[in-house]
Amino acid sequence: MTIKKLFDRVDSVRLENITKKYGEQFAIKNLNLEIQGGELLILIGRSGSGKTTALRTINRLIEPDSGTVSINGADVREFDSVRLRRNIGYVIQNIGLLPHLRISENVGLLLKLEGWNEEEIRKRVRDLLTLVSLPPERFMDRYPHELSGGQQQRVGLARAMAMDPPLFLMDEPFGALDPLLRTQLQDEFFKIKKELGRTIVFITHDINEAFRLGDRIAIMNNAELIQVGTPEELIFSPVSDLVSEIVDSKRKYRHIDTLKVGDMMQPLAREDTLDPGMSAESALDLMVRKGLEFAFVMGKSEVSGRVCLNDVLKARTRGIELKEVTRALPLFSSDTTLIEALAKLKSEGESMGLVLEDNEPAGVLFSDRVLQNLI
Amino acid sequence: MFLVALFFSILIGVFIGIFTYRNPKFAAPVLNGLNVVESVPDVALLVLLLPIFGIGTEPTIVASILYSLLPIARNTYTGLSNVPRVYIEIAEALGLTQREVLFQVRFPLSLPLIAGGIRIAVVFTMGVVTLGGLIAAGGLGAALQNGIQLYDMGTILVTGAWVGFLAVLLDGIAGIIESTLKARYGTWS
Repeated sequence: MTIKKLFDRVDSVRLENITKKYGEQFAIKNLNLEIQGGELLILIGRSGSGKTTALRTINRLIEPDSGTVSINGADVREFDSVRLRRNIGYVIQNIGLLPHLRISENVGLLLKLEGWNEEEIRKRVRDLLTLVSLPPERFMDRYPHELSGGQQQRVGLARAMAMDPPLFLMDEPFGALDPLLRTQLQDEFFKIKKELGRTIVFITHDINEAFRLGDRIAIMNNAELIQVGTPEELIFSPVSDLVSEIVDSKRKYRHIDTLKVGDMMQPLAREDTLDPGMSAESALDLMVRKGLEFAFVMGKSEVSGRVCLNDVLKARTRGIELKEVTRALPLFSSDTTLIEALAKLKSEGESMGLVLEDNEPAGVLFSDRVLQNLI
Repeated sequence: MFLVALFFSILIGVFIGIFTYRNPKFAAPVLNGLNVVESVPDVALLVLLLPIFGIGTEPTIVASILYSLLPIARNTYTGLSNVPRVYIEIAEALGLTQREVLFQVRFPLSLPLIAGGIRIAVVFTMGVVTLGGLIAAGGLGAALQNGIQLYDMGTILVTGAWVGFLAVLLDGIAGIIESTLKARYGTWS
């Protein structure tokens, strides 16, 4: 059975000039925020900062006093709120599994209301429970109160995925769990997120969680959006003391396990690399012209390594090919964490590594540059 | 007689409960009206119904229903209104319509309380049906009333004991049903 969908994928969710007041108190004040398709955007801030209110305007649980929320350019008020919500997965901190329904009924509730037959529902529920690492045969027929907090949270996640929504709203989904379990669920969630490639708006008050999971982070305070950016932007160029306090930018090294190689690499273009077939002469020429002390040697699809000016000179004097003097070097992808990358550099006794994205050179990671930036 | 009365009490009581929940402005007048009915002594209620329904089972059944409506309707109303916020919120966020929230979430989660109301109604109905013997409704009540009229100690004791035994038994059964529902649908586990 296919699911009637309002949108197959989300290209953007845009909140424009959103204001919501409760009495004289602003819950959100003139909020402008764009969530890009496929990203996980974190909303972070103290309680009462307006993050939950902002989140709930997206599925129309809260109607703003002014401003518009649009998904793929269409104002959400044009959609029937029930249909809209069935197209948006929703997970909350206290989970809210319905206590009178078995796990399978909880997960399959919307499917049943959508008119799926028993067999299709059971199959889908099985798949979903497997995805969140709950063996279906053990859990399907249990009641929520027979499950631990972590297991209930997984069920909550499975329930949100039932209708295969392209957009998820998650309000501190791991907030009530103990730290050990939280880390474990974050890891699993991160895997699922990568597999599904959905757009997610995620609320947390835990900055470490924000850095672990978020592509971009939006910081809210007193009903206003203070800054939005990648972890690196927030850490290295906080717009206010509040932001720097929240992201702890005075102790950047603390973020070594959450910052990614992509945040710290120096950009590198294809034309700054040398072709393995190049003669030493023309390699030297290119390096001198561009003022490079070293260069990376790579072919169409494979990376040979790096050479420094000295190596090239040596090759020229001895009349040998470029690849004879090329030294192998560590390769990273831009979503490797800094700590992993540095550990690899250390074990290989290298001071730099090449960052590849889709087999194309994207940048260079220098260990000394990383350390300087972090302190 | 007893079962007919109870059946209609539940049907009408639950209906009134749902109706007052969906139309809150009627809640106070309707429930207060039922309260007034409740405060009329049962003998007086039977007598009041005589001109309308004559004698026999009909006025007895009607009186039983009138008495039982309040506990059932009030418990249904209270149950529906007091389902924890979190379940309602998540149901709405998932995309349930108001009607689905009512019947898939609120109603099942109110069942323990509704059953509690029905249990009270069982005892009320028992009392009124027995009293129905006064107005020729038959049953154990008639035998009991005969015994009282004739001052026949033996009859009074035997029928009284039977009535008492039945009341305890039915209340017990209702109690078991109530606690089963509580275990199944209770929200405070």
